[in-house]
Order: sequence, then C-alpha cells, then structure tokens
Amino acid sequence: MKKPETHLLCRYFKPVSDVIVTLLLWSYFTVGFVILFSPSYLAAYLFSENREISFQRLNHKFYKGFFYLARLLVFGHKWIISDDVRSIRSSIIVCNHISYLDPIFFVALFEKQKTIVKSTFFRVPIFGRMLKLSGYIPSTSGTNLSDLMLRHIEAMDDYLASGGNFFVFPEGTRSRDGTIGLINKGAFKIARLCKASIKVLFIRNTNKLFKPGKLLFNTCVSNTITVELIAIMEPDYQKSTFSISELMSEVRSILEAQRSNLVP
Amino acid sequence: MTRDEIKNEILGIFKDQFEIENPGLDDDLREVHEFDSIDAIELLGEIEIILSSELTRAEKKGAMEIRTINHILDYVESLSLARAKG
Repeated sequence: MKKPETHLLCRYFKPVSDVIVTLLLWSYFTVGFVILFSPSYLAAYLFSENREISFQRLNHKFYKGFFYLARLLVFGHKWIISDDVRSIRSSIIVCNHISYLDPIFFVALFEKQKTIVKSTFFRVPIFGRMLKLSGYIPSTSGTNLSDLMLRHIEAMDDYLASGGNFFVFPEGTRSRDGTIGLINKGAFKIARLCKASIKVLFIRNTNKLFKPGKLLFNTCVSNTITVELIAIMEPDYQKSTFSISELMSEVRSILEAQRSNLVP
Repeated sequence: MTRDEIKNEILGIFKDQFEIENPGLDDDLREVHEFDSIDAIELLGEIEIILSSELTRAEKKGAMEIRTINHILDYVESLSLARAKG
C-alpha cells in the first residue's frame, strides 16, 4: 500500500505539529467557546424569541469556526463539499459514520440542523441543557426525556418545512474500518412519520484527520475529505407494500456500493 | 369498543406499520421487537384514529413508558372509557 505523502516541512515535525494543532483546536473548544461564544449564547437564552433556532445558528457558527481553524492549521488536508450538499434544506439526511468529527461537521455545514444525540449527554450539566435548548433529540426516551422526545418529533414536520435539516448517522456508532454497519430504523421511522424524502450522503476521510482511538489530530498527511450526495430517496409511504426494512436495506446497499467504489 | 376489537386493531397496526407479526401479549416490545419511542409516537397517531379523538399531551406522555401489547390494550381501553363517560 502506498504510504501517504508527507509534506516536506512536516516530515520531521509531525509529532510536534500534531500536539500543537490539537492543543489549539481544544483551546478553541474550551477558552474560545467561553470568550467568543458564551455571551452570544447567554443573549440568545435571555432575549431570543426562538431559542431553538438561535442556539442552532450559534452551534453552526461555533463549529464553522472550528473547521475554519482546522483548515488553517492542519496541513495536507483538502476539503471537497459539493454544492448539492451545501444547498440541502428541509431534508432528512442519512450518512455513513467514520469519525467523531462527522456530527459536528454537519452542524458546521447546515445552519438549521437537528440530530439524535445519545440520551446520556442530556444529563451532562450545561452541555445537556444546551442540547435541549438546541432542539436535539435524545436517542431513547427514558426518565424525564419522553416529553422532550415527543415534543420534538411531533414538531419535526414544521421544522423541516421551515428549511431545517434533520441528520442522522443510522449506523449509530463509528465504523472503525469504513465498512457500513447495521443501520438503525430511527431516521427512517421519522421520515415516514413526516412523509419526508431522504438524502443519502457519503462522507470520506474524516477518520484520517481524527483517527478513532487517538487523542491527537493527524496533521501533515495528504488527505482529501469529501461529502457527497449519493442518493435521494422518495418512498411512497402510503403504498400498501411500503416497508421500512426494505428502505433501510436499499439505503445500506447504496452506502455499501459507494464504499466499494472507493476502496481500491 | 371491546377489548377484543381493540386487540385486533392494534395487532393489525403492528403488522402493517411496524412489521411485527403476532407479538405475544406480554412480550416486552422494546426488548423482543425493537419497538422504540418513535414507534410509540407513531402508534399514538393510530390510536387517535381508532378513538376518533385527539390525545392530550399528558395522555401521550403516559404512553411513552408502555412495554407490552396488554399495556397498550389497557391504555386504549381506559382512554375509550374516559371518552365514553365524556
């Protein structure tokens, strides 16, 4: 297998570069959040007429800033996001999942966005509150979350109609080797509930920028991160033969075929 | 509506909507059939059709912890009775 090309400047300094870039990006996440964004979140909390949308916009700006910084700092990585992905609105989006960066990358891509988040995160102080205020949906209803889930799912129709996107990584967890895992029904059930079309995206190589199981960003390697729109599904939910399992199986096949095309 | 009539309606919905055929009346739907909260919300819509009446937020919230077909039958029966009493 061909070894990734290393930039000349980085060749001898990669370990140092990895540490410095990681520290800078984590600083943005922590200090940067407190200094640059917390006043805006507080203002949105106190004065916004629509907190949910305001929080989503702020999340979008915060993560956009994060990826802007990442592009500046991390040498060797190229980003290719097609226009048909950037222009997606009012859609349920499903995508393969290969890195912790994927969900926050989607928040950075779409100004109005909702997703499903692990229920345990909703119990984390401050962060959990921010998730609730942003209108994100807990993965299971459990104690104290059933009302939240009910409210958000019932309002999903209107949210999509207002231009919002609902994105889900139906595999649930990151794939360590890029293979497409078993997919969960959640996003498809919500699509049926809202009679919505489904946009299928394919993300590639975010796992080379931030490798699963590693603490540091992987700088100084040649890498191209892409996000493509690979299918638009418009199921006839009213049809008596409609089956969620078949729809899921079709989406999984599309993702699997896309992956197979990319594997040399 | 009798309990049997409700049961037939509910089992029909499970078959057509959720692709769950002949579930045991006391099966834990979440454990055995992967019936989750989103399904529960969809089922509530169907129950509103059965009862020809909208459910209140409190009634819906009460349904989110339902685990078995028998629980669903109890739930629909109690709603039906409450509506009959008016």
